[in-house]
Amino acid sequence: MSPEELTRLGIAEVGKLIRRRALSPVELTRAYLDRIQREDGDRLAYITVLRNEALAAAAAAEREIAGGHSRGPLHGIPIALKDLIMTRGIRTTCGSRILKDWVPDADATVARRLAEAGAILLGKLNMHEFAYGPTGVNPHYGTSRNPWDRGRMPGGSSSGSAVAVAAGLCAGALGTDTGGSVRIPAAFCGLVGLKPTYGRVRRAGVIPLAWSLDHVGPMTRTVTDAALLLQALAGRDPADPSTADVPVPDYARAMQGEIRGLTLGLPKDLFFERLDPEVRAAVLAAARSLEGLGASLEEIPLPKIRHAGPASFAIIVSEATAYHEPYLKTRAAEYGADVRARLMTGQFILAGHYLKAQRARQVIRAEMDLALRRVHALLLPTTPVPAPPLDARELTVDGLTEDVRAWLIRCTRPINVTGHPALSVPCGLTAAGLPIGLQIVGRHFDEATVLQIGRAFEAVSPMRERRPPLDSK
Amino acid sequence: MAPISIHLLQALSQELSRIPTDPDDLANAASQLAAQLEGLGRLDDLDLSAVEPATVLLPPREVPYVS
Repeated sequence: MSPEELTRLGIAEVGKLIRRRALSPVELTRAYLDRIQREDGDRLAYITVLRNEALAAAAAAEREIAGGHSRGPLHGIPIALKDLIMTRGIRTTCGSRILKDWVPDADATVARRLAEAGAILLGKLNMHEFAYGPTGVNPHYGTSRNPWDRGRMPGGSSSGSAVAVAAGLCAGALGTDTGGSVRIPAAFCGLVGLKPTYGRVRRAGVIPLAWSLDHVGPMTRTVTDAALLLQALAGRDPADPSTADVPVPDYARAMQGEIRGLTLGLPKDLFFERLDPEVRAAVLAAARSLEGLGASLEEIPLPKIRHAGPASFAIIVSEATAYHEPYLKTRAAEYGADVRARLMTGQFILAGHYLKAQRARQVIRAEMDLALRRVHALLLPTTPVPAPPLDARELTVDGLTEDVRAWLIRCTRPINVTGHPALSVPCGLTAAGLPIGLQIVGRHFDEATVLQIGRAFEAVSPMRERRPPLDSK
Repeated sequence: MAPISIHLLQALSQELSRIPTDPDDLANAASQLAAQLEGLGRLDDLDLSAVEPATVLLPPREVPYVS
């Protein structure tokens, strides 16, 4: 198999080859590093590439495996991290000028867990500055290029994570998601992106955007790969009081079953109200495919979900401004204009607004919980539109013109407000060749069912053999 | 709804939060706030009378008595 072919395989596939000793972790890591060197100059997925460190870690993995000590499915697998995940001795910029030279003295828990599982860290990935935006446009490090169409947004804020995985520059990556920042770029770049339940994955050592809405999640080429990464990340962490003491199942096993007999809900409110026609057609076709696999579909009312948008706004801008206040007072000019303007907005949200939003959140979540007693999961679009042009400021859908950012987060941010697990799976291409994402939302801490549905759909999806034109410029 | 005064935002910024601001950022903030205030007001449509905010601290775990 050629080095190029190796970089197109998923984590599960190369992991099997490594464990059988049919593939050397050093060979695989070198294949990725060479591809990064050749391809990332103008793709701009990486901020920092760790060539020497990665090769040394791969050599160590190879020795361990040769000695009969496999650490499991991630051992020897080259991955990369969004650059707000702290890495000891490796700069962590948060996609910002303010932290361009910051070198943490500790690892985030998720970085440590992946290293303990034997994953090889290739580098740190580009992102929307401080994770504060869904477009992925970055004025400091350049904007990562969507491999399906370089003139289109990659989605954000985990833009580099999506581009790196989609363009074959790492086998899998971690992103973070406060209003859709894993799922939006996953949908725009034709990938799988999982926002786990709030409290499922450790956030200690991840620079926050909004503490009560932030989630860490995997971005991969397949649902199985997302499950393998989640397995290494999930669980209680004494260093993170927001993590829950809930048993972690064996996801690879739990997601194997058929979906026959499951009931899937199609929400009547908000999510299907204003959609690009091609997105609507692809998501409804995906629902019918799942019905064809034996699931039943049911329309579900969620009248309170439309309040999630304003609640999310009040919470994000308040929490983000609270975190950034010291920098705003001393280094405001170093922020990009879009992020600084949003951070400035946060100072004008009243405490009453914030608390009302946090109280509303309980009611919205209770309604969603009630709906998820009737059905096993909900099916929604991940975004109402495919990836917009890089310079888009506003979009008009069904006669309504709004800021492009508002459109991008419309279907994802309500799920950050409720904290339920949500998976974005590719479900089709537009006539212009842009990927479309199906979003599957499950019960709290039931990532297994969400993954099971995603995996079942993946097997029949029109996207199952589709790849971006990787070597075109 | 009346537009939000940039002078008001500037005064709040200077006197209360003490964050130095740029007029362009304040114009952007005024526009963002104006777009969201109606939705924030509609949160009153929800019955929140018996609802505590999601931010309340959980009580600490009971520590067993050690003699």
